[in-house]
Amino acid sequence: MEAAVEAARQGTFFSRNEFLIRRLHSLTGLIPVGAYMCIHLLTNASTLGGPEMFQKNVDLIHSLGPALPIVEWTFIFLPLIFHAVVGVVIIRSGNANLSSYYYVGNVRYTLQRVTAWIALLFIAYHVFHMHGWFHNAWWLENVANNELGGHQFDPHKASSTAAIALASPLKKLFYGIGVISCVYHLANGLWTMGITWGVWTTAAAQRRANWICGAFGIALTVVGLAALVGVTTTDVDKAEAYEKVRHEMNLEEQQRAEAEAKRLKSLSPAEREAEAKAQAEKEAKAAETKAH
Amino acid sequence: MIQANSHDDSAHGSHDHGEHHAPPAQFAVRVLRQDAPGAPSYWERHTITRENDMNVISVLQRIAAQSETADGDKTTPVAWDCNCLEEVCGACTMLVNGKTRQACSALVDKLLAENPEEIELRPMSKFPVVRDLMVNRSRLFRALQKVQAWIPVDGYYDMGSGPRVSPANQEQAYPLSECMSCGCCLEACPQFTKIELKKQEGETDEAFKAREQAAFDRGFVGAHAISQVMLFNNHPTGAMNAPARLEALMAEGGIQDCGNAQNCVAVCPKKIPLTTSIGRAGRATTVHAIKKFFDR
Repeated sequence: MEAAVEAARQGTFFSRNEFLIRRLHSLTGLIPVGAYMCIHLLTNASTLGGPEMFQKNVDLIHSLGPALPIVEWTFIFLPLIFHAVVGVVIIRSGNANLSSYYYVGNVRYTLQRVTAWIALLFIAYHVFHMHGWFHNAWWLENVANNELGGHQFDPHKASSTAAIALASPLKKLFYGIGVISCVYHLANGLWTMGITWGVWTTAAAQRRANWICGAFGIALTVVGLAALVGVTTTDVDKAEAYEKVRHEMNLEEQQRAEAEAKRLKSLSPAEREAEAKAQAEKEAKAAETKAH
Repeated sequence: MIQANSHDDSAHGSHDHGEHHAPPAQFAVRVLRQDAPGAPSYWERHTITRENDMNVISVLQRIAAQSETADGDKTTPVAWDCNCLEEVCGACTMLVNGKTRQACSALVDKLLAENPEEIELRPMSKFPVVRDLMVNRSRLFRALQKVQAWIPVDGYYDMGSGPRVSPANQEQAYPLSECMSCGCCLEACPQFTKIELKKQEGETDEAFKAREQAAFDRGFVGAHAISQVMLFNNHPTGAMNAPARLEALMAEGGIQDCGNAQNCVAVCPKKIPLTTSIGRAGRATTVHAIKKFFDR
């Protein structure tokens, strides 16, 4: 019997570190997950500026090259998975009682949990729909691409593939609901976070903070839904033509760079030294003329 | 500062619709009864003749006097807890028409104005039922023990006068000191879920109590205990033990379990600014956690 009491006192890893885990859950909701979502929705909204603008923004993200997956896993996926797993534990620990206590705060509490489930389903589908979950060649070719309609987004053809992926009104509706749920969850979560960490304490301060969080939520909803308008108004043929030209230009540049690298590699050490010397002289001369 | 929070007055039965229906001569009362801890519950209907200035307590006294259900069957008196009869002890807290409140301040005429058909009485749902409308609220008091909701100044010698308390501090402390441990905030809290253990065969009372308290300590402490921590931590003498109380609030079942539904402040019969206490406790634990991390 005493062993049972002792075991209950010791608890699990989660229960022993409950405070830290719950505070980390609160923090990850804002940084990096919430902050990332703002950047993501703002980038998406740039589809309104035409394929040139959106492609430029996507290229900027992809300029990280091989570092991109590391950045994505560190600042997006791992914190998001942590937030989701702990979130499910939290939701299961409570019992909504809206029918007995129909107060504004309680409606928001319940909505925070409803939008959490919608956001979880939506994000899981969204990452599959656009990226196929894993960028593994076999997986993409045999599972994600063909049968299930995943991996629709191509970062080299950003505007056209996004527009095609979201062509169906049903998908647009689902994305709209998903985005609004995510935004509500962030804006309301920001408000409760302020109470949790003790930023706004009195009822008056909480009301003021509520206005700010509400305005933030409405602004972010507009930004989020602007992206859906953007993909609707995108002219797919024009976007594809632009992306093709751009891609070819990029390819040419890449080939030129590769050829140059190959040529340098084929030179003997003496030749390479001579070339370097000539280059240095040329640069020195240029600097001199500039100084004069 | 006494901050009026978003109160739903209907929770306290003080809604005046401005309409004046003639009160019915008789009304029905539906009571959710239970004969023993863990036993199945059942509904029982009673018909009561209305008198002036009745409250739910006097209704329960009539039921005991009649000792007959609405169908004319003989029945035992309904058991309930009460003490002060003026909404300062919290003992008669129950669910009146589905809402948590004190039976003594639930006036029959106001309840009939809301629903002339009947009055529904149920025991609180978050505490183990002892019998009928009587519940065991020991978890509520265990939470106060856990967070050390007192100031340890007992001794055999004269400790002299305590430090002066500023008027501003007094004003902040007074509303918090009005808590009567009724449990309304816990009953309405979606994060505070029922813990009811069954005594095992051959288990001594002491062993059962130890097992029960261990289970209580793992559950959410609740708004009342968080608010009491703020009351004692903000008192100049009580502040000497502030870190220990904050540690208790950061243990399992502590302040982190709060989901910010803010039902506690909406149902509190004493209108205690519980969510302000929660915000202040949130700040205090944040600072304490950072200090602990960098000072050790």
